[in-house]
Amino acid sequence: MDALLAALDYLLGIPVLGWGTHIGFVYKALLLLVSLLVFTAFILLADRKIWAAVQIRRGPNVVGPFGLLQSFADLIKFALKEPLIPAGADKVLFLMAPLITATLALAGWAVVPVDNGWAMANINVGILYLLGISSLGVYGVIIGGWASNSKYPFFGSLRAAAQMVSYEVSIGLVIITVLLCVGSLNLNDIVVAQRDMGLATTLGVPWLTFLNWFWLPLFPMFVVFYISALAETNRPPFDLAEGESELVAGFMTEYSATPYMLFMLGEYISILLMCGMTTILFLGGWTSPIDLPPFTWIPGFIWFFAKLSLVFFMFAMAKAIVPRYRYDQLMRIGWKVFLPLSLVMVVIVAFVLQLTGWGWHGGVA
Amino acid sequence: MRASQFFNTLLLKEFVSAFGLAMRYFFSPKPTVNYPFEKGPVSPRFRGEHVLRRYPNGEERCIACKLCEAICPAQAITIEAGPRQNDGTRRTVRYDIDMVKCIYCGFCQEACPVDAIVEGPNFEFATETREELYFSKEKLLSNGDRWEREIAANLAADAPYR
Amino acid sequence: MANIKVDGILIEVPDHYTLMQAAEAAGAEIPRFCYHERLSVAGNCRMCLVEVKGGPPKPQASCAMSVRDLRPGPNGEAPEMFTNTPMVKKAREGVMEFLLINHPLDCPICDQGGECDLQDQAMAYGVDKNRFAENKRAVEDKYLGPLVKTSMNRCIHCTRCVRFTTEVAGISEMGLIGRGEDAEITSYLEKALTSELQGNVIDLCPVGALTSKPYAFHARPWELSKTETIDVMDAVGSSIRVDSRGREVMRILPRINEAINEEWISDKTRFVWDGLKSQRLDRPYVRRNGKLQAATWEEAFAAVATRMKKAGNKVGAIAGDLAAVEEMFALKGLLAAVGSGMTDVRPAMSGIDPSMPRAAYLFNPTIAGIEEADAILIIGSNPRREASVLNARIRKTWRAKGLPIAVIGEAADLTYDYTYLGEGLETLADLAAGNGAFAQTLKNAQRPIVIVGEGAVSHAALGKQVGRDVIALAARLASGGNVAEGWNGFALLHNAASRVGGLDIGFVPHDGGVCSADQIALAGKGELDVLFLLGADEYDMSAMGKAFVVYIGTHGDAGAHRADVILPAATYTEKSATYVNTEGRVQVTTRAVFPPGDAKEDWAIIRALSGIIGQPLAYNSLTQLRAALYAQYPHLARIDEIAPANAADLGRLAQAAVKTTSAPLRSSVTDFYLTNPIARASAIMGECAAMAAGLQQAAE
Repeated sequence: MDALLAALDYLLGIPVLGWGTHIGFVYKALLLLVSLLVFTAFILLADRKIWAAVQIRRGPNVVGPFGLLQSFADLIKFALKEPLIPAGADKVLFLMAPLITATLALAGWAVVPVDNGWAMANINVGILYLLGISSLGVYGVIIGGWASNSKYPFFGSLRAAAQMVSYEVSIGLVIITVLLCVGSLNLNDIVVAQRDMGLATTLGVPWLTFLNWFWLPLFPMFVVFYISALAETNRPPFDLAEGESELVAGFMTEYSATPYMLFMLGEYISILLMCGMTTILFLGGWTSPIDLPPFTWIPGFIWFFAKLSLVFFMFAMAKAIVPRYRYDQLMRIGWKVFLPLSLVMVVIVAFVLQLTGWGWHGGVA
Repeated sequence: MRASQFFNTLLLKEFVSAFGLAMRYFFSPKPTVNYPFEKGPVSPRFRGEHVLRRYPNGEERCIACKLCEAICPAQAITIEAGPRQNDGTRRTVRYDIDMVKCIYCGFCQEACPVDAIVEGPNFEFATETREELYFSKEKLLSNGDRWEREIAANLAADAPYR
Repeated sequence: MANIKVDGILIEVPDHYTLMQAAEAAGAEIPRFCYHERLSVAGNCRMCLVEVKGGPPKPQASCAMSVRDLRPGPNGEAPEMFTNTPMVKKAREGVMEFLLINHPLDCPICDQGGECDLQDQAMAYGVDKNRFAENKRAVEDKYLGPLVKTSMNRCIHCTRCVRFTTEVAGISEMGLIGRGEDAEITSYLEKALTSELQGNVIDLCPVGALTSKPYAFHARPWELSKTETIDVMDAVGSSIRVDSRGREVMRILPRINEAINEEWISDKTRFVWDGLKSQRLDRPYVRRNGKLQAATWEEAFAAVATRMKKAGNKVGAIAGDLAAVEEMFALKGLLAAVGSGMTDVRPAMSGIDPSMPRAAYLFNPTIAGIEEADAILIIGSNPRREASVLNARIRKTWRAKGLPIAVIGEAADLTYDYTYLGEGLETLADLAAGNGAFAQTLKNAQRPIVIVGEGAVSHAALGKQVGRDVIALAARLASGGNVAEGWNGFALLHNAASRVGGLDIGFVPHDGGVCSADQIALAGKGELDVLFLLGADEYDMSAMGKAFVVYIGTHGDAGAHRADVILPAATYTEKSATYVNTEGRVQVTTRAVFPPGDAKEDWAIIRALSGIIGQPLAYNSLTQLRAALYAQYPHLARIDEIAPANAADLGRLAQAAVKTTSAPLRSSVTDFYLTNPIARASAIMGECAAMAAGLQQAAE
């Protein structure tokens, strides 16, 4: 009985109303979910707007002021349209695939600290959890492509699977270099480490926090991570899984209406997740770039989302300016460039850390 | 691989220069015409929706010579002709244009000896059903009544070059 | 023969050739408007100007100057003509400019547009400028009746129409009056033309001044599919071209066939096309409770099959005027399968007996042979009404040779002069006995033709013997005297396209069958259970008693009204079918359009019915049917050829005893315009018939 009450307290507690001791987990989750979805809606719009701007177009500009409500109009459209399921498709798997994709993408956000300690689950192995979740994401794609029982989606899903698996290797190694520096698998710790140590601290100007962040000392890894993140999320120039000139729309070819929307949603939320990871690993998470007023007056989560948006801007710009890779080129870069490069970097970073004694060592000097 | 090439690649030099170029375009003024609210200029020779014109006294111009039907490369025009009931003049009984077949080449208006069939300046005639795009004689004549002013002006504007 | 150089090519041509004919022989093309091969030379359009060496030093009308008019050179060089020199070009351009001065620019509303000589030649030989700035002249349109529409502004005064009506049609009802700018083609009194060949002026007119009134504005020549076929309106079988658009016949034009119609066709042939679209039977009907009700093919066949099974061999079949050989063959086969020989294609009480040789029912001298004749006797026929084109051939011969022609029967305007001998059989017998001046003429003639009308051999009221006697007497007249070797002057002129074909394949009573009139009588007495009418409408429908009448036909005419089951069939433009014309020439129609609605081809209907009554005929396709037909009657396989009858048979016919003494010999065609179901369904033919009747009343 006590355990049950404790669980209820944990999930639904409202201390302000004198009930329970915690703010309920459900409320926090809901808050994150809603703000994430709304944020995604605008990010989607931003993606289209940025792309349009580079092409000297206006982009969506009819629904709402400056087209701000475009994504909500699309949502309504997708929700109201008839979902078509191919006759030869495995109906259950076909509908399950987009659900898996969307759910997993959202699940990843559980460990992301948007401010100091503001994570749904501030677990010690947060970074491993993230790696695991984003690896699972490939299932949605494979299942969707296979369940469509159609040639193009199947090709698309195979491509996507191979691509995501390949780039997880280099992502993992990049993360290892960061972990070597931090000495902790906790995401919160990774951010705190960037705040407390680094180039600026060494130079004696700790308020120039942005010099502390890992993007500078681990710059090659930052670049590798950025490119690998593009590939991991099937963003252009690595969107071979849905190369419309070859595969129509890849694994999503047979999807329509709400299932399609879930795929898109999952894709964009995982893009945001990768942007968030970049922010946390290399751009100092929620920390302000300069540790002085007025920058410190701005709350951490705003900094977090601002940085996330900047990274996303880079994602969008990559889509606008880089032509699509050929599949063999994609594989070549993954296995023959990034893998050796990051392996070498792991070794170099380890040596440097060992020789100089740098490193945060999990907050323990 | 030379060292400069290595660093160019590592530091994404081409990406950065492309990024710079993209940002220039990003902030350059957009030539987009905000279509439903503003429209681009339309040439007097624009070949849009077909109309059948009338003479100023209200008499339909078309004399059922069938030249447009004969020249139509898409065979979109169907004409049935016969003597008109009241005065026995040569008139169309039926004048149909299948706007779905039409390729808007303008041969019909070139072939027309009396400037009866003209492709007007209107290009906004999308319909909800396919059937509505099978224009009948009545539809074409009413189009003519609606667009006569613009079409007459266009024909006058283009007359010196013909 | 004379030598002439045409554009430097030396050729040898007959003396009487005109320069135009010589140029054609040399392969040089000369434009023309007024010149026409079958009309007299007028020389008034001046379009055919050529340059000559050895003649006047100015452009010469090549249609009017003959080869022998040119002098040879001083050293005997052949005279020369040129069709492509600058002088000729300038002359043509000048003529064309003059012609176009008063020709309106209304090609877009002109029915001739697209097939206009003036249009084509203006493109080929004209200039693209006009120096004439005055007003064009205006001419009032003339009324020429319900068939020919006029637009006199367009007239270029070639006078082809005047010459045609005067020379070929034999009516002096058109002419050119006035001079210069006031020249006009007119019918003088603004009355409808009275010729049954008047439609040909539409083809002759090189511009759009004379066009077809019923066809007015309905189609353009470039959108019509052209099908070459033959006509079945009369027994002549004129060569025609059917112009159709989609599933509709839009007009009918003649084709040149020197052996039959030259290039003329009768108005009935030309204007009957609207009858192909009205009053059509487009689905089967079955009579239920005294009323004809629409039915499916299965129901109709079931109704026929039920009665057929009960009837045993008490089944008869009468073929109408438009029945083709194939369907008669199939129907004969069907009746043979149930053991009946009651088939007939002849009109009631015809004197043509099944036992008679083929010579007794053919137009033996052939139509082209008329031009070789030196005396013609017409018995009980009005060829102008029964076979207008053939009549034009008689007139052509009469104009060329002035041969003696005599008529026994009705006195009527046949467009040529003839000696009227009398009205009936007694006159014929008298003539055959050698009395009278014309008997002597016939006796002296080497190539006499005795035309026996169908009306003269079919006497519904008087019986078959009269017809037999007429045939015997006519045969005597045709074979008597000093007839040239190989000449068979006995000419039976049928009225219907089906007759000779039916007689050729024995669609006559056989194996105990009886003739059409007797079949109807039997039916009236209840001794004939099922009667097939294969498009037969010309019989007494009220006399068929309680017989079960199956009408296989195309139009809702008399037969369809009497029918108990109607099986809709195809007309001559909707099927490929064999017809044998009155001279015995085998011809085949071509399908121009498809039958309307559920209608099927006749032979296919009969074949299907044979399967349903359990006596399937041994062919499943038209090709197989024809193979069977040709195996049995090999002469039908020789398309467009005449299998001549044995001339010696004429002597046998002549020896038959004459038993009757007196009978009127009248043409069986009383109304030219309404002889068959298609024509009766045609509104245009109705109008013409009403007008012709009115004219007659006015004349009386």
